[in-house]
Amino acid sequence: MLKKSMAFLAVSTLGLTGCAATEESLVLYSGRKEALVQPLLDQFTADTGIEVEVRYAGTSETAALILEEGENTQADVFFGVGGAALGALSRGGAFVDIDQEILDLVPVKFRSVDNDWVGTSGRARIMVYNKQNVTETPESVMDLANAEWNDRIAIAPSYGSFQAFVTAMRVVEGDQATLEWLRAMSENALIFNKDEEVMEAVESGTADAGLVNHYYFYRRGVEDGFENLISEAGFFGSEDVGNLVNVAGVGMLNNSEPAKAFVEYLLSDKGQKYFSDETMEYPLTGTVQPSEKLIPLDQVPTAELDLNDIDQLDRTLELMREAGLL
Amino acid sequence: MRQKPPAVLVLLAVFATLISLIPIAYLLFRGSQAVDELFAELTRPRTLELLLNTTALVVSVTLTALLIGVLQAWLVVRTNLPFRNFFAVASALPLAMPSYVAAFGWVSLFPGFYGFWPSWLVMTLVTSPYVYLAVAASLVSSNFQAEEVARSLGKNRWQVVKNVTWPIIRPAATASSLLVALYTLSEFGAVATLRFQTFTIGVYNAYRSSFDRNAAAAIAIVLVVFTLVILYGERKSRGKVRNFEPHSGKRIRIKISGRYGFAGALFAIAGLGIGVPVAALIRWSVVGTSRAELQRVIDAVITTIGYSLAAGAIITVFALAITLVTVRYKSSFAGGIETGVWVGHALPGIVVALSLVFLGANLLPGIYQTVWIVLIAYVALYLPNGLAGLRNPVSQIPLALDEVGRSLGKSRMHILRRITLPIISPGVMAALALVTLTVMKELPATLLLRPTGVDTLATRLWALTDASSYAAAAPYGLLLFLLGGIPAWLLNRQIRKTLDATT
Repeated sequence: MLKKSMAFLAVSTLGLTGCAATEESLVLYSGRKEALVQPLLDQFTADTGIEVEVRYAGTSETAALILEEGENTQADVFFGVGGAALGALSRGGAFVDIDQEILDLVPVKFRSVDNDWVGTSGRARIMVYNKQNVTETPESVMDLANAEWNDRIAIAPSYGSFQAFVTAMRVVEGDQATLEWLRAMSENALIFNKDEEVMEAVESGTADAGLVNHYYFYRRGVEDGFENLISEAGFFGSEDVGNLVNVAGVGMLNNSEPAKAFVEYLLSDKGQKYFSDETMEYPLTGTVQPSEKLIPLDQVPTAELDLNDIDQLDRTLELMREAGLL
Repeated sequence: MRQKPPAVLVLLAVFATLISLIPIAYLLFRGSQAVDELFAELTRPRTLELLLNTTALVVSVTLTALLIGVLQAWLVVRTNLPFRNFFAVASALPLAMPSYVAAFGWVSLFPGFYGFWPSWLVMTLVTSPYVYLAVAASLVSSNFQAEEVARSLGKNRWQVVKNVTWPIIRPAATASSLLVALYTLSEFGAVATLRFQTFTIGVYNAYRSSFDRNAAAAIAIVLVVFTLVILYGERKSRGKVRNFEPHSGKRIRIKISGRYGFAGALFAIAGLGIGVPVAALIRWSVVGTSRAELQRVIDAVITTIGYSLAAGAIITVFALAITLVTVRYKSSFAGGIETGVWVGHALPGIVVALSLVFLGANLLPGIYQTVWIVLIAYVALYLPNGLAGLRNPVSQIPLALDEVGRSLGKSRMHILRRITLPIISPGVMAALALVTLTVMKELPATLLLRPTGVDTLATRLWALTDASSYAAAAPYGLLLFLLGGIPAWLLNRQIRKTLDATT
């Protein structure tokens, strides 16, 4: 009896692993977190019948994995955070072209110049601030270098989104001005490891203001009730690099139908709505409205920047180290 | 008399060495495409800074881990220290704590705990069990009476330590110090969390900031050169292993003055090494609101046990073959095999993982992203841990027994099976436990190479802390620690048996 059930178990396990690579399945390498991505994948499978096998790791590890696998990559689609990683894979020749009508769903500045990756959701850098202690938000992120912000502003310099913003600052303001700003921040700022901790520092009153991705504020608001927060979200003045908008996005490793279907799904109203409702990110296609609490993306006063240009992170890290922030 | 080793052993040894060399071959291939970057890297002022930082950390951690480990071993095995059984386990237990968890625990309890001294402290606490275990094992299997005799001949305590005790423990102490030094050299998670810049961080930054595999390889090659220097130094200072000395008569413990003071010191060390990280994990689960899913916890526990036991067994067999060939039979190619196995041991996990991604995806698609490629990665990463554990027991086999066997006309394999292996089986079990414990904590290679959808405790811990779900992550950390405690406890059994026999 026991033997029989063991044999059954063995056969059924084999059966389970054997049916993975059918036409109606997709292998996804995700640099985005399981907690945020998996519900979307389940929804995709329910809607399309396409099974998704997914491998989670950090965005940079996943990118290295794909480059190292080369021609023989197991992945059909890469899903990761930041224009820099997507750009590196594009330069490494990993991606195939995406159909023009899909690309055209998204504004030019949120996709590849080589037409081989496309942003699927946007995230803006914002300043969260204590409503009582900060009466006037600064005109520019550069103003945070002033002495009045000493020990009041919280940042997470080791976090990828902060580093992408500093890279953008280098493009807009130059290396020298950026280094001076970083030096001032290492004097003024309270240092944390992640944006979430920065958000917590402002909300708990430890810091008067903090630089974070916008959704950390909005998720907190949805969870605790916006009316209960002691902090508020603010943008800097017009065309300020402090309001950088970056993307999470996808590239296809081959032209298989499931891969195309997945990219299309992420840019469909259903996919875009998931980002707007669940991750509180900005939808990028313009057909879905962002969560009502968010300022519409086209009204975010960000500097005119092409994400394809902010990929020189090594020099950024050098400057940050020189300033003592890393 | 030098004998030829059985062919089976040579085959196993050569095969295992080839696996160890996969990352090196990969680096040479990548590095050859980045010769300019290699020179650019070597001539940057920052390289000198990294070199000084790395040297300072490796030297200081190795020396303090050596001091703490030797002190713990000597006190527990040789003296009338109170609560010896407790300290026998507690001294080994920090080994079960992944260094990135320990570092994260310290930072989360003490914000602002950054820089050289914190890195030194955390790395010392995590690595000193390597020294403790090796030295304790060598003290247990040596003759207690030599020290007594020396004392009775009027030597003072320092002279006894220098002339009698140190020669006994020296091979074990140097082998384990080598593990400590290379572990520190390869460490990424802890030093990154504690914000201290070493070469390994340079390797990671090359992947993270410029997504440049060739530049990363160029920096990693510097790490390999660093390793060769350390290996050379270890070989010069290794000393000669003494043959097994059967102890006769009753073992008398050395009566030390201020034994409660020493117990207090050991308790403080255990508190820092175990207490702080565990307190941090418990605090996570109390403060946070996220919760772990039971089924996933169970699955992760089963996978972790399966992977680490399988890897432990395979690595121990390979390590035993290599040690027999190099130490027991002293084959002429022994030096080459030993260097080949050790040379890649300071490479960060991500480099070893990517070398196997490259090999697996392009040359071995049949086993890529299966448990087999994960096991190969573990062999490449942890074979040296097996070697370090086995060198002493294998060296101590009395040659005379072998010669008697030969004179009775028995074959080499027969002698190996019936005489050699039974004698060293406690040492083999200890090596198995040590390797299993180390594999259990592995993260970067498991994350990239695992079969799709399979999780270990370490990968779940990573995914949940990455998503800032600390409360859900805490049970995984605590379970890793509890599971790791089992091999740590087994490792100590040998020592405790001696303790029981002595008291």
